[in-house]
Amino acid sequence: MRAPLSTAIAIGAGVLTLLGFFIPIESLTSMRSLLIEWAVLLAGVAGLVAIVHLLSVHWRKMTASHNRSVTSAFLLVAFGITFAAGMVLKPGHPTIQKIVTHIQVPIEASLMGVLAISLTAAAIRLFQRRGGWMSVLFAVSAFVFLILGSGFLSSFANIPVLKDLLAAVNSLPVAGARGILIGVALGSLTTGLRVLLGTDRPYSG
Amino acid sequence: MAPDLLWTLIAFFLTILVLSYVLGDNALFRMVMMIFVGISAGYGAVLLFYQVIMPRLITPLMTAPPADRMVLIIPAVLSILLLFKLSPRLSILGNPSMALLTGVGAAVAIGGAVSGTLFGQISGTISLFDLSGLSSAGSAISQLFGGIVLLTGTICSLAYFHFGARKKGGENTGAQPAIIQLLAGIGKVFIAITLGALFAGVLAASLAALIERLDFLINVIKPMIS
Repeated sequence: MRAPLSTAIAIGAGVLTLLGFFIPIESLTSMRSLLIEWAVLLAGVAGLVAIVHLLSVHWRKMTASHNRSVTSAFLLVAFGITFAAGMVLKPGHPTIQKIVTHIQVPIEASLMGVLAISLTAAAIRLFQRRGGWMSVLFAVSAFVFLILGSGFLSSFANIPVLKDLLAAVNSLPVAGARGILIGVALGSLTTGLRVLLGTDRPYSG
Repeated sequence: MAPDLLWTLIAFFLTILVLSYVLGDNALFRMVMMIFVGISAGYGAVLLFYQVIMPRLITPLMTAPPADRMVLIIPAVLSILLLFKLSPRLSILGNPSMALLTGVGAAVAIGGAVSGTLFGQISGTISLFDLSGLSSAGSAISQLFGGIVLLTGTICSLAYFHFGARKKGGENTGAQPAIIQLLAGIGKVFIAITLGALFAGVLAASLAALIERLDFLINVIKPMIS
């Protein structure tokens, strides 16, 4: 058996947490809370490990003898300044908040803006490369819901027949979304059970 | 230069550099992306330290009663073991920590999927068939019709993701059963409508962000010109 200790820990911790979810016994619920508390802490440490790994990759790319990446230096400098300032001043300090509101937020919002143009270009390309009734239905649906979402038809919402029609059209994507959500939940359930039964062991790498 | 003006100019130039991607991928855009990743990682590390590791491990280890400190030794040791994941040779030492994380994560995912999504979505679909609180026959028929459409759409969308194949003589034929093919065909229509609606939502949100950014650029440029 591969990684018996890790497998025992995963199954034990998982089963105890699951029992705490569904069986309302004080000892089980407190054990579940404790295990989730530990998992949150470990997830935090794992996040730090991931960040250190990211930095080491960019350090290697910056100091490589061939194909040196100059842009990696910007990442390391930006990280160093933000991390040092954050550790000294703490996250709630106005200067740290300025970094968030005047650097992070404008970049995120601009990227979102670029996404509008990219999505439109991608939709046009979809029509050029893959025609067919599915693409037409997709485009018609997108167009109809863009108009519905814009509030353009809200002034007609008092007309009884139109009101019912709009409600019926609005319920159509709910059916598909519900099917997708139930599918995702069934997938999560199966994957989770495979981990708890020890069939999948993603931690033994 | 006033500090606020300096911050506004930083935001202004960053916005222009990101929007320059519309003209094609370029070195300045990549530089901004690296700065963005660096700042996000730095801010994320600070938040993880001050909002997770400090209050859940370091502070309790220093101030909690001895009995509670003994309990905290386990996550402390697991946290230290997790750090070995940084070394390719010693990464195996971090496996127990990853195992606990995965086990608890799987249990939380199962609990969330069952009680949060499965029960919630199924009861949401069933509730439309409860006609007891309705006053008129017209609204009952309308709700019943809506419920049937919703139920059909949900079942057919689920059937679309059924990838089982029919067996013939002990071997997979690669073809789905006829009933599943029929349901999947109807499900495709519902999924196309759903994806179209989702696309419209994302496009509307991103257009709003683009308009907000362009408005910001105009508001910065306008006083300079006038």
